[in-house]
Amino acid sequence: MVTTPTRTAHPLGLELDHIDHSYMIGGAFTPVLDDISLTIAPGEFVALLGPSGCGKSTLLRLIAGLEPPHGGAILAEGTPIAGPGPDRIVMFQDPTLYPWRTVRGNVALGHDIAGRRDPAAVAAAIELVGLKGFERAWPHQLSGGMAQRAALARALVNDPRLLILDEPLGKLDSLTRLTMQTELHRLWRDRGFTAIMVTHDVEEALLLATRIIVFSPRPARIIGDLPIDLPPHRHRDDPRLLDLRRNILVQLGHSADW
Amino acid sequence: MSASDTRAPPLRATGQTATKAGPRRALLPWAAGPAWFLAALVTWRWPDADDFPDTSRLAALFLAVGLGLTAAAALRRLSARAPWAIALGLGFAAWEIAQAKLLWLPRPFFGTPQDLLDVFLTDWKRLGDSLLHSLGLLAVGYGIGAVLGVAVGVGLGRSLRFRYWVRPLIRLVGPLPPVALLPLAFVLIPSGRLASEALLALAAGFPTTILTWSGVAAVDPAYYDVARTMGARNRFLVLRVALPAAMPQIFVGLFMGLGVSFATLVVAEMLGVKSGLGFYMQWAQGWAAYPNMYAALLVMSLMCTGLVTLLFKVRDRVLSWQKDGLKW
Repeated sequence: MVTTPTRTAHPLGLELDHIDHSYMIGGAFTPVLDDISLTIAPGEFVALLGPSGCGKSTLLRLIAGLEPPHGGAILAEGTPIAGPGPDRIVMFQDPTLYPWRTVRGNVALGHDIAGRRDPAAVAAAIELVGLKGFERAWPHQLSGGMAQRAALARALVNDPRLLILDEPLGKLDSLTRLTMQTELHRLWRDRGFTAIMVTHDVEEALLLATRIIVFSPRPARIIGDLPIDLPPHRHRDDPRLLDLRRNILVQLGHSADW
Repeated sequence: MSASDTRAPPLRATGQTATKAGPRRALLPWAAGPAWFLAALVTWRWPDADDFPDTSRLAALFLAVGLGLTAAAALRRLSARAPWAIALGLGFAAWEIAQAKLLWLPRPFFGTPQDLLDVFLTDWKRLGDSLLHSLGLLAVGYGIGAVLGVAVGVGLGRSLRFRYWVRPLIRLVGPLPPVALLPLAFVLIPSGRLASEALLALAAGFPTTILTWSGVAAVDPAYYDVARTMGARNRFLVLRVALPAAMPQIFVGLFMGLGVSFATLVVAEMLGVKSGLGFYMQWAQGWAAYPNMYAALLVMSLMCTGLVTLLFKVRDRVLSWQKDGLKW
């Protein structure tokens, strides 16, 4: 970790204006998002918490521009999002590295798409996530944690103004997960991009986010919007976090009786 | 613990047999030369049952191979292949005895080794010419079929409208054996060469199309999402995501297409084009020149296996990222 990370010049601000969305399931439209309105300030780290299958990941796909919303509008700095763009990079639950590319080739994907070559930036991103020495490894030779690190480097090399995290740590073992949480937090602090993260893990949300949005079961509505007014260096055992945790679990329908 | 204790003695025993087999394995390469010397001796000293050509040349050839194998043994270049070298030497000796010396099998359908050698010595020019013709026909027909097959397969896998119009045609024409179109092709296309190339393209194209399509259709949609969130357009998604992801399947299609191409090639040469190995074989059969036919068969099988080997070499290169693959 010798490289001094470049600060993202302009973290992206977002405005979600009455978003509705539905999916065709079994020949019928099933609503997944119901009137979602949300303003995200540049540089925020927002965690989206909610029961599994409620539509959080769908919301991320809409923000990424992979699909247009059926109703409402998503504005990035006042202009509607028309499609995907390299300033908004998604990190998925699975690393989804291309098996036919080496680690270096995978990290350079964004550059290839943009049609430019910047081996120094690729090398720096690989070093930043601690994969130096594995540049020429094939994805099938990596452990789950290493693969997800490579995916993180692949996202960071684009200097995203908004990092969209779709449960990126969900499938990692608990120790790797703790390390990656710390590193993700450090990266966000150093680079200053805006981050939106879907997670099932209340503790993870409390540890990383500046603000937690709680969703209802499908169709997802916003039922809670909690700013986390704690210093960025938090300890997992901070009693204030425990209070917040209990509060959120109640909102998610788990009463405090255990 | 007890299980490993009981297993220990037999393990040691197998170790002992391994060391015993050591010297035998080291001696085996030295037996390859003598096997061929035996074949040379039998050929040279045992009088032929009839007036066969090139008996002494064949004996000299066996001798030369024997010397070469002995040299290889001395240079320790002959270990894994030694059993095959021995078996081939003994096999040639047996064939020589059975046919050239004792005439056990009816002539002219079964030839002697010297008959085969004679064909290569006297007719090598025409054989080589036929091989080049076959290779030329294959290269053009198979090449076009492979490229078109991949292109059509990608189209079927990626574009709804393309699939709507092309799929019925593929379903109608694809499963038809290309040789069934041969009579029609020779009527419709004035040049026999062009007609054969078209059929070869069809032969190679159908399996390649279907497997490319299936490969492209099976690409994990998340691979597209990853590239799309970084701003990738359709061109990148096809050439740099769908194609490499489908490559393992595409090579299966190319391999199957090569097989069908071989079959089509031989029939086309026998019926239409008056050149190539298929034509040579047809001609040899017409003259009851069976040794020539055997020689042409040998050349053809070397050509086919050589091309398959080439395809697999390319595949191993392109798919070096795969965990493991079939060893041809």
